[in-house]
Amino acid sequence: MRQETVRLDTGGMWLWLLQRVTAVVLLLGLAAHVIATHALNLGDLSYDNVAGRLASGFFVAVDFSLLAAGLFHGLNGLRMVLLDYGFTGRAKTFLSWALLLVGLALFAYGTWALWPWLTS
Amino acid sequence: MSVKNRETANVGAGLWKGAGMWAWLFHRVSGVVLALYLVAHIWVISTAAAAGADDFDAMFKTLESPLFIVLDLALLAAVVYHAINGIRVILFDLGVAIRQQKALWWVVIGASVAVMAVFAVISFSYIASQGS
Repeated sequence: MRQETVRLDTGGMWLWLLQRVTAVVLLLGLAAHVIATHALNLGDLSYDNVAGRLASGFFVAVDFSLLAAGLFHGLNGLRMVLLDYGFTGRAKTFLSWALLLVGLALFAYGTWALWPWLTS
Repeated sequence: MSVKNRETANVGAGLWKGAGMWAWLFHRVSGVVLALYLVAHIWVISTAAAAGADDFDAMFKTLESPLFIVLDLALLAAVVYHAINGIRVILFDLGVAIRQQKALWWVVIGASVAVMAVFAVISFSYIASQGS
């Protein structure tokens, strides 16, 4: 087995662990999401169709966990990639905060868009 | 900066050879594509949903056209590879099957092709039914 030199201080243990946890959430939730939209309801997708799905608590839970887990996993993944290409010190701090803000903003936007279905 | 040596099969930047390199590179490229797609996905869906039922249904009409179904398949290929290779990476994190990493990558490729074949059949039969 070959030896690789690994810098252990660039990512952070908790972010690494959350990346794995959200990966498992996405494996299950994204499977449900993709099968529901791309296999079972293809050709049948509409406002009413989505409203019908969101009437079930199960799909509300799936959609919100997908929104949160997907955003975290995607943006933290981008961060991990960018950290391999010279983001250190203040640039790293700025990058982390910028991606956190982007994530929170998109979570708020996604939630705001789901709201009419959830409350009707 | 703490630097340590550890045994690894999940080849990272700086180690550039063999099946592990391609597994890592595909994972990274598909990951970046998916992250950027996710932002676009949330933006497009949420904006259309907020605009009301008519705009939302008009969006789906576009998204269910043959061009977008084929683009969907390309997206799905990235999702399916990233997901199945992700299971492989998690196994290595747990210390499982590190020495079988090369063989496992071919299992990942085989499983990805099989899943994509199912989605391709669904997608192209849908496109065919649209034309009739």
